[in-house]
Amino acid sequence: MFDVIRSTMPFLVQGLWITIQISFIVIVIGSLIGFAVGMVRAEKIPVLSLVLGGYIHVLRGTPFLVHLYVVYFLLPATKVSWLQFEAFTGAIIALSLYTSTYVAEIVRAAIEAVPRGQTEAARSVGMTKLQCLRHIVLPQAVKMMIPPMGGIYVIIIKGTSIVSVIGIAELVRAGEHAAQRHPSFLLVIYGLVALMYFLYCYPILRLTRWAESKLGKVDVSL
Amino acid sequence: MAECIPTMDWILDFYNYRVVAQYLPEFGRGIVSTMGISLVALVLSLVIGTLSALMSLSARAVLRNIAGGYISVIRSTPLLIQIYLIYFALPALPLLDRRLTELEGGIIALGLNAGAFMSEIIRAGIVSIERGQIEGAMSVGMTYLQRMRHIILPQAIARVVPPLLGQSAVLIKDSSLVSFIGVFELFGAGLTVLNERLMPNEAFLTVAAGYLAIYFLMSVFSSYAQRKLGGAYA
Repeated sequence: MFDVIRSTMPFLVQGLWITIQISFIVIVIGSLIGFAVGMVRAEKIPVLSLVLGGYIHVLRGTPFLVHLYVVYFLLPATKVSWLQFEAFTGAIIALSLYTSTYVAEIVRAAIEAVPRGQTEAARSVGMTKLQCLRHIVLPQAVKMMIPPMGGIYVIIIKGTSIVSVIGIAELVRAGEHAAQRHPSFLLVIYGLVALMYFLYCYPILRLTRWAESKLGKVDVSL
Repeated sequence: MAECIPTMDWILDFYNYRVVAQYLPEFGRGIVSTMGISLVALVLSLVIGTLSALMSLSARAVLRNIAGGYISVIRSTPLLIQIYLIYFALPALPLLDRRLTELEGGIIALGLNAGAFMSEIIRAGIVSIERGQIEGAMSVGMTYLQRMRHIILPQAIARVVPPLLGQSAVLIKDSSLVSFIGVFELFGAGLTVLNERLMPNEAFLTVAAGYLAIYFLMSVFSSYAQRKLGGAYA
């Protein structure tokens, strides 16, 4: 058994490294998109806000697995040249869109949680809308966004396990390969894979809980 | 005649609804299966979640630690790996003399997974019940189980119905992952069309529409439930 562990470990670690890379890229891109969407929704910009509400509902109403297959199979099938991407890009796009819906709801909830009186006071001393957002609302809202973002990050890390299905060589895929090579040690190998996810995610969850106790909790329905 | 109307051609090329119509029974069975799997897993997760919430509030450290460990492990590992581990590991336990079917394995994994999230929600509901209620129940001589059954849990669960429904929606979406171990459900119906016809658009746009239909039903039901419970408890 220890031989098997020793020989599969390098592959699993390599898979973990790819999982870390993907989750990192995705949390950055997804947060940027999500931040923009959330701001639009919080500011209730007429038509755009409605359209983006639909975007969030559609993505929220369907499983990530379906997003992944649609992005991976359907977009390249449209024969538009810039939609001819490979599996890795497809996985990043699907995961980023998925992330953005979560981030958008957090950003919106945090901005809406800043008391209205603050905005009114800022506007009444002559700040423009943008100044008020920049100096009054966002500094407080961003502080409230930090704890739930930790939860999102863990959801994303776990979500990356699904992209193994389109052939990305991340941790689950590495585990599947190892399990094929040593079928009788399947449980040990999947156990190791689970352990690696645990070692990556658990500290983030703890940190999130600590941040919650420091910065307070915003009510976001995830 | 059809070649006179180029737009029709384009639509058929992109989304051939005739093929979809042909596979409609398949998609229908998929939706029913997805809802059935989710419902059984939901009941399982509520039972596990309530037990685990009670354990996490117990005075005994052992019970608290078991519940805490269960929640941490579930929350820190992907559902896909949990499904694999349960599907492959449970039959290895000596108390089962047969292999679990894919369906059983999938439902148990989904129930255990959602149970951890339900547990945290239900726990928050129990904690929110005022101390006076417990004291009142104790002063009329109710035992722990009677208190939980008649006083605390009904109110606690009514208070957290919105997040419980939100978690149920997540459960329905997560149930698509059991197709990985070969359980037939809505996503599996899409895979069938992909494999038999090599038509990803028809397969997955239809699957997406199916999930959206379930999601829509859920949200209608959820606002109904909130109106009802809002009147009774809020």
